[in-house]
Amino acid sequence: MGYFTDTLRAMRTTLRNVFRPPTTVEFPDVVRPRAERFRASFALIDDENGESACVGCLTCEKICPSQVIKVKASPKRESPVTGKKRAYADDFVLDLSACIQCELCVQVCNNDAIVMVREPEQPAFNREDLVLGMEKLRANGRGKTVAWGRGTGLQEMQESKPKVEKPAKPKPAPVEAAKVETPAEPAKVEAAPAEPAKVESAPAAAPAEAAPEKSDCSAAEEAP
Amino acid sequence: MQSARRGGIDPHLSITHYDPEADLMLLHFGPQHPSTHGVFRMDLHLDGEVVIKATPYLGYLHRGVEKLCEKLTYVQQTPVVDKNDYVSPMTNEQALNMAFEKLMGIEVPRRARWLRLLLAEMQRISSHLLWLGTFTLDLGGALGGGSTVFLHCFREREMVLDLFEDITGARFHYNTHTIGGNRHDLPAGFAAKARAALDGIEARIGEYEDLSVHHAIFVARTRGVGVLDGDLALELGITGPVLRASGVDHDLRRDAPFHAYDEVPVKVSVERGGDCLARAKVRFAELRESIRLCRAALDGMPEGPICGFKPIRQPTQSKATSGQVYVGIETPRGELGTFLVANPDAPTTPYRLKIRAPSLHALSALPYILPGATVSDAVAILGSLDPIMGEVDR
Repeated sequence: MGYFTDTLRAMRTTLRNVFRPPTTVEFPDVVRPRAERFRASFALIDDENGESACVGCLTCEKICPSQVIKVKASPKRESPVTGKKRAYADDFVLDLSACIQCELCVQVCNNDAIVMVREPEQPAFNREDLVLGMEKLRANGRGKTVAWGRGTGLQEMQESKPKVEKPAKPKPAPVEAAKVETPAEPAKVEAAPAEPAKVESAPAAAPAEAAPEKSDCSAAEEAP
Repeated sequence: MQSARRGGIDPHLSITHYDPEADLMLLHFGPQHPSTHGVFRMDLHLDGEVVIKATPYLGYLHRGVEKLCEKLTYVQQTPVVDKNDYVSPMTNEQALNMAFEKLMGIEVPRRARWLRLLLAEMQRISSHLLWLGTFTLDLGGALGGGSTVFLHCFREREMVLDLFEDITGARFHYNTHTIGGNRHDLPAGFAAKARAALDGIEARIGEYEDLSVHHAIFVARTRGVGVLDGDLALELGITGPVLRASGVDHDLRRDAPFHAYDEVPVKVSVERGGDCLARAKVRFAELRESIRLCRAALDGMPEGPICGFKPIRQPTQSKATSGQVYVGIETPRGELGTFLVANPDAPTTPYRLKIRAPSLHALSALPYILPGATVSDAVAILGSLDPIMGEVDR
């Protein structure tokens, strides 16, 4: 008895969907807007002197759950640009084919050196192309849209008492972050002044994205 | 021959001694069958089209997650357990991190608890939508149209995943929970976007009902199929919507509140039927309830920090030398428990991590409720239990 009326009612849903705009897009031609925080591939950021911001502290290598990061740290040497002594990473290899995109390496990077990239398109013709070496990672940092998450930014967001210094946030926040990091990273106390990371020159969009993000967090809490 | 239908079901029935005159057929159901929701295998002994005995076999998706967690430090484990229940990764993270917090005695700030409630309920919406889509697909499509409801459900589930992407940057396998709270705060303008998405999903639930539980074909296909008795369900350790559909009023969100469920009361939906239709109805009611809870969480989201412990800076920063804890939370599939024993010799890794997967217990009902059903009903019964093999085999 109910079959006919129920089917009519179900057909109403079908008819309604005929007049709805399509949900899908023609992908290569149209790209759906990506979330602000979207994370896909990786990049190594350069500091303001054009050198890699990575100091080879090996924290990302140690925390990676899939053990896809291999960093070769070098002893401290004089920077050819500034003349100051600092630590370097001689080599940095990230095997994207086994990466689970958990963002933990970005989370622990006190120098904001390793970040994630917003472009998800990363096809490769062979497996070796998915193993990102130092050169590829630094090229990503220069050429691709760098994602929102930075090590110090993420840590600051999770700090249990950020509300205390909220009124004077713009200035003291980086100093505060640097203070907290220093004991956690004894290997590079003098090597990482932590300020260069804040004002790295890499993509022009990056500082602009990072700056509103801070105000975003406070704005988000007002919204609900 | 018809003993199974008469109610005398023996899940340990010895087929070799069962009616040697009968012409029973052994059907290997799975592990590559599309309606087994992963890699699940059953041996079905059939008399004609009627199942006489069903024997489930597990382990095709075993990845050694529990053993792996004994090797990884506490802060490294969250992204790994994401892959257990791959339809609701958020609740996996929550169960694990709540166990760590209980072991280490870490207080979670109020905002983080509300945030976890919001994320858990959004995950419940997306999980139930995926269940509805695949369940109707198992039935051959509510209107015989195959993938109609399936694609409709995926359309709305996409809205929830977009919201997750806004918060965490990932559509799946978020790694957004950490010991003591959350890693990502809500972005600006999230509440408005989330409300719009919730309104959109709520408006479409009626359409799903027209295509499923309110439709005579769907009802004819599911009513009285796979009836699970409440007592048997309790005995087998079944929790979640499957238990509530058998008339047992049990929901950890109300009975043992975690997150902020003590501040946002949950209306638990119970059905008496115990059949596939009752399970579908319970999940539809939970879908509506989750939308209400999400709105309540968005309205009442308090200010404050999102993490009560120091942010992750070193892999070895979380330590526990003694103690053992059990934490159970209500996931879309039932009680997901985490049993954790601290390792005195290696304080940064657990001695043992045991995950109590609700899907495993749901599958244990199959030998009891499949005999007497036809093969096509077996597909419907399996789908209505909503098993996720990733968490069954771990």
